[in-house]
Amino acid sequence: MNDMRLTERAVDATDVKISARKVQVYYGDNHAIKDVDVDIPDRMVTAFIGPSGCGKSTFLRSLNRMNDTIPICRVEGKITLDGEDIYDRRVDPVQLRAKVGMVFQKPNPFPKSIYDNVAYGPRIHGLTRNKAELDEVVEQSLRRAALWNEVKDRLHAPGTGLSGGQQQRLCIARAVATSPEVLLMDEPCSALDPIATAQVEELIDELRANFSVVIVTHSMQQAARVSQKTAFFHLGNLVEYGETGQIFTKPQDPRTESYISGRIG
Amino acid sequence: MTDAVAHPTPHSGSLLRQDERTRRRNNAERRFRLYGQVAIGIAIMALVILLTSVLGNGLSAFRQTFISMPVTLDAAVLDKKGNRDPADLKKVTTIGYSKLLVNSLTQVIEEEGIVVEGLASSDIKDMISDEAAAQVRDRVLGNPDLIGQTVDLKVLANGRIDGYLKGRVSMESAERDSNVSVNQLRLTESLVERGIIGKSFNWGFLTAADASELRPEAAGLGVAILGSAYMMIVVLVLSLPIGVAASIYLEEFAPKNRWTDLIEVNISNLAAVPSIVFGILGLAIFINFAGLPQSAPIVGGLVLTLMTLPTIIITTRAAIKAVPPSIRDAALGIGASKMQTVFHHVLPLAMPGILTGAIIGLAQALGETAPLLLIGMVAFVRDFPAAPPEGLFDPAAALPVQVYNWTQRADPAFVERASGAIIVLLVFLLVMNTAAILLRRRFERRW
Amino acid sequence: MPLPATLFCGLDISMSIGLLLAIILGLAAVGYVIGIRRAKDRAGGDTRRLHSLAGYHGQSVLLFTAVPALLVVGAWLLLQPVVIEARVSGMIAESDVPQGSSLDLVMSDVRRVADGLNAIAANEQLTEDEIAAMGADLGGLRSRLGNAGVALASDVQPSVFEASRTYRQMNNTGLTALSISAILVALAGLVFSASRIQAEFRARNVSESFVKLLFIGSSFVAVLTTFGIIASLVVESVHFFQLYPIKDFLFSLTWNPQFRGGSDLGIWPLLWGTLYVSFVALLFAVPVGLLSAIYLSEYASKRVRSVVKPAIEILAGIPTIVYGLFALITVGPFLRDYFAQPLGLGTSSSSVLTAGLVMGIMLIPFVSSLSDDIINAVPQAMRDGSFGLGATHSETVRQVILPAALPGIVGAILLAASRAIGETMIVVMGAGAAAKLSLNPLEAMTTITVKIVSQLTGDTEFASPETLVAFALGMMLFIFTLGLNVIALYVVRKYREQYE
Repeated sequence: MNDMRLTERAVDATDVKISARKVQVYYGDNHAIKDVDVDIPDRMVTAFIGPSGCGKSTFLRSLNRMNDTIPICRVEGKITLDGEDIYDRRVDPVQLRAKVGMVFQKPNPFPKSIYDNVAYGPRIHGLTRNKAELDEVVEQSLRRAALWNEVKDRLHAPGTGLSGGQQQRLCIARAVATSPEVLLMDEPCSALDPIATAQVEELIDELRANFSVVIVTHSMQQAARVSQKTAFFHLGNLVEYGETGQIFTKPQDPRTESYISGRIG
Repeated sequence: MTDAVAHPTPHSGSLLRQDERTRRRNNAERRFRLYGQVAIGIAIMALVILLTSVLGNGLSAFRQTFISMPVTLDAAVLDKKGNRDPADLKKVTTIGYSKLLVNSLTQVIEEEGIVVEGLASSDIKDMISDEAAAQVRDRVLGNPDLIGQTVDLKVLANGRIDGYLKGRVSMESAERDSNVSVNQLRLTESLVERGIIGKSFNWGFLTAADASELRPEAAGLGVAILGSAYMMIVVLVLSLPIGVAASIYLEEFAPKNRWTDLIEVNISNLAAVPSIVFGILGLAIFINFAGLPQSAPIVGGLVLTLMTLPTIIITTRAAIKAVPPSIRDAALGIGASKMQTVFHHVLPLAMPGILTGAIIGLAQALGETAPLLLIGMVAFVRDFPAAPPEGLFDPAAALPVQVYNWTQRADPAFVERASGAIIVLLVFLLVMNTAAILLRRRFERRW
Repeated sequence: MPLPATLFCGLDISMSIGLLLAIILGLAAVGYVIGIRRAKDRAGGDTRRLHSLAGYHGQSVLLFTAVPALLVVGAWLLLQPVVIEARVSGMIAESDVPQGSSLDLVMSDVRRVADGLNAIAANEQLTEDEIAAMGADLGGLRSRLGNAGVALASDVQPSVFEASRTYRQMNNTGLTALSISAILVALAGLVFSASRIQAEFRARNVSESFVKLLFIGSSFVAVLTTFGIIASLVVESVHFFQLYPIKDFLFSLTWNPQFRGGSDLGIWPLLWGTLYVSFVALLFAVPVGLLSAIYLSEYASKRVRSVVKPAIEILAGIPTIVYGLFALITVGPFLRDYFAQPLGLGTSSSSVLTAGLVMGIMLIPFVSSLSDDIINAVPQAMRDGSFGLGATHSETVRQVILPAALPGIVGAILLAASRAIGETMIVVMGAGAAAKLSLNPLEAMTTITVKIVSQLTGDTEFASPETLVAFALGMMLFIFTLGLNVIALYVVRKYREQYE
C-alpha cells in the first residue's frame, strides 16, 4: 500500500454532495442497513468497503433509489442530494437517476450498437437538440471513458461484441453521457482482468474532476488506490468513515483493523 | 482527455420540481401501463364472454320439458293374443304406443276441462315427442307385467313445446312455424298451470344416444361420452408407456449423435403439426391402408395417441431432467445397473411430473375435434358400442364431434344441446386439470 | 367417401384378435413363472449362486415370449389387407370395370359385399357352400345384402361376387394363419429363452438390453409418425396430380369443385382465406398477448399476477370446438347485426372477421405465455442498466427489453402464425365455405383446413380428384406450418443461447 500517495491526496476537502442520516434499509423482514450516517463530498472518490453481505451495495443502491425496483425493499431515514431529500414524495426517481448515474458490477451493455448504447441516456432525457450534438456527446463520453480510440471506427458494431474491460468502459461512457453529478459504481472491476481493472481505475481517478464518485469495492487495494474517502461497512452498520489514508493506516475501530489486516473477509 | 466541448447540463433544477420533460415522460409511462391493463382487460373479458355465452346457451339443456300423465297400457292394443309372448309383443310398433299416449293425453285434457278453440287431434299428438312412444315401448318390452296396468309416466314433450317453455318459441314465431301451432302453445299454458307439463332434470341428455334431426328433445350424449371414454382408454394405454419409454431412452440412454438430434427435432416439430394433418394420417394409414373400420374409437384413439405423444414425451423428459444427477450417482455408486437406477430411483421420483403431463395430454386429446372428423366420427350413431375390447371397433361418436354435429343441424334446439354438450366437455376438462394441479401440488419437490 | 356406419363387421376379427392377445399374454405369464422356477432349480435352491436375481430370469423369458409374438400380430394386421387387396383386385378384369368407374370403386364394392356376406353368414349361420350358392341368384343377393345393411346401386356382378367371396375367405384364413403363427412364435420364444437359463446366465443384462431395445423402438414411434404423415400426404397427392394438373392446382384462381368432374381446384382462394383469417387473428392476438405479457412480467404485483396469469391460461386449455361454437352462436351473429348489416358490408354471420377474432382470442395465451418466457429471459442487468441511467419503466421496456427480446418474440409470433394457419374447427364453424378472393373482412371466405374437412367428409368417391385434392391441400398445409415451425424454433433457440 502506497501510504505516501494517500495522505498527499487527502487535502482538498470540499462541500458535501450527498448526506445520509439515520438510514435504515429493510429487505422484507431483514434489516439490511442500520442507522447509517455519512456525508459524501463533491468531486472526490468515496469508497465503500467491507466483507460481502455487509450491505455496502444495498446502501449504494439506495443513493439513487435503485432499490425502488425491488418490491420487498424499504428505505427509512433521510438522504439528501444538494440538500434536497431524495425520498421526498415529490421526487421523481427518473429525474434523480439522471443526476445520480450508476455503473454495475457486471458490464451490462444493451444489445444495441456502441453508439446507441452511449446515446441512450441523452436520448431519453432529451439532452441534445440534433444529431450533431448527439454525435458530439457520444464522442466526448467515449473519450472520457478512454474508449474512443478503440471504437471510433466501429461505432455501429454491437456493444456486446467488445471485450469485458471495453464493455465496462462502455457502460461508464453510457453513464457519463447523461452528465450526472454523482456516479455510483458497484464493484465495477470485479468481472475484469487486472489490465482492464487498471484502465478503469485510472478512468475513475480522472472522472473525479467532474463528478462525485462513489465506488463499492471488494478489494482494499483498489479502495486505497482510487479513493479519497473510505467507509467501512460491517453487518449493515457503518463502522468507520474517514480519509482513506486515515482508515488504512490508523483505523479507530478494532473491526476495521481486523478487516484491513485480513482477519474478517 | 479534453473537456474543450462543454457538456450540456440540463439537470440544473431542483429535484423537488418535476420538469416539463419528466412530466411528459411520466405521462407516456402511465399510458403504456394503461395499454397493458387494457390488454389484460380484453383477454379476461374474452374469457368471461366466452364462458357466459356457452353457459347461458347450454345450461337449459340440462332441464327438459316432460308431460306427466297416467297412461293405460291397454292389453287389447299391446298384446292382442294375450299370451305375453315377447315375440308377439315386439310386433306392436311405436305407432301403437303412440296412439295410447295420445289417448291418455286427450283424456287428461278432457278431465281437466281444458278447452282450446280450434285444437285439432293432430295437435295433441304433436305435443308428445315421437321418441316418447319408443321409450314406453322399450319399457314395456323390458317388463311385460306392466301391460294392462295404468301407470304414471313422464314422457318427453315435443321439442317446440320445450322451446316454448325455454323462451325459444313464442306465439309470434309459432304463427310462422309449420311444426307448432298457436293452439298447441295455448294448450301448453293450461297444462303448465295444472302441473301436467313441466321441466325437470334431463338425465337423458347424459345417457341417451343421439336422435334424429326432428327430435332434438331426445338427443343425448350417451354414445359420445362412451366413445370419448373408449378413445381416452386407448390413448392412455398406448401413449403413456410409449411416451415414457421414449423419454427414458432419450434422456438417460441415448448417445448424443445425429440420430438423437433427428429424433428430438422431430418430436418438437411433431408437437406443432396441425391436428387435422393427424386426421389425414389416420384416414390414409389406419383406415385405407390397414383397413380398420371408420368411426371406430380404436382409430380415433390411435390418431389421438400419435398426437399426444409429443406432449407426453416433452413433459416426461422435463420431469426426468428435474431429478438431480446426485440421485443417479448414488445408485450407480453402490453398483446398481443403469436400468435399475432408472426404474428404482429416477422413475418413481419423476412419476408425479409424468402423470401431470399425461393428464394434460389426455385433456388435450379429449377436446380434439378436427382429426376425428376425417376418420368418420361424424357419422350418425344411435347404437351404444359394446364393452371393450370388441367395442373399440364399433362405431361411436365423440363428445367434441357431437357438438360439431349438432351445430350442423337446422333446428335451433340443437344449439342448446351443443352448448350443453360443451358444458359437459368443460366439466370433464376441469376435473382432469384440477387433478393435474392437485397432483403437482401434492408431490411438488424442490431439490 | 361414403360412410359405412355399421357395415364393417369388426366384431369377429376383434374377438379373435382379443383372444389371441390374451393367449400370448397368458403364455408370457407362464414363461415368467417357468423362468423363476428354473433359475432357482439351476441354482440348487441357493439363489446366491445365480448371476442375476431369479426375477430377471423370469423377465427375460416373459419378454422373449410376448414381444416377438406381439410384433408378428402387429405387422400381420398391417400387411394382410394390402396383400389380400392386391390378390383380389387381380381377379377383376379390365372389362368388369363399368364405364366412368375405376378399379378402386369396384374394389370398394367388393369390400362392402364381403362385409355384407359376413353379416348374412353370421345372422343365418350359413356354411361356406351355402354362401357360394348365393352366387346363383345375384338379384336375390342384392335384396339380402340390403337387409343386412349393405345397400347397392345395382346387382352384384358375378366377378365381383367371386372376388368378394375370395376376399372374405382370404381374410378368414389369414386370421387363422396369424393366430397359429403368432402362438408358435410365442412358444418358440418361451422354449428358447427358458432353455438358456443357467446359474451363471446373465439374465439381467439380457433383459435390460431387451428393454432398452423396446425404449429405442418407442422413441422411433415419433419418427415413424412423421414418416407416415409424409408418406400418406405424398402418395395421395401424387394420385391427385395424376388426375388433375399440378399447374392448375398451384396457379388457378378459382376453386369450384363439381360433383361430376370438370372441377376447378385452384389453391389461391383457399390460401388467401387462410392467410387473411390468420392475419386478422394475429392482428388481434399479438398486441393483446404481448402487452399483457409485458404488464404481467414488468408491472403487475405478485397478487395480480397469480390471479390473471392462470385466468389467461384457461383460454389455452379450452378446446377449439368451444371457440368454434362461440364464433358460430355469439361472435358471428353479433358482428353481422352490429357491423356487417348496418354498414352494408355483408349479410353472413360467418366471416373472416368472425373467425379471425375468435382465433385471436385462442392465440392470446399462446402469444402471452411465450412472450412472458422470453421477456423473463432478458437478464435483470439490462433493466438495472437502463434504470440506473434514469429511464422510466416504459422506456426500459420499449427501448431495451423489447429490442433485446425481439428475436424471441418474432419466433413466438411465427409459432402463433403456424397455429393459426393449421387451426380447423374455428374456421370450419366461423369462416364459411365460400372460396373467394375478396378484401372485405365481413364476407364469408374459406380456408385450406375447411376444404380438407369438407372434401374428405363429403359424398364424393375417394378416388376422385375432388376428394384427393384434400391430400394435396394437406401437403401444402404441412409444408407451410413445418416451415414456420422450423424457422421459429431456430430463431427461439438462437435467442436463448444468447443469454445462456
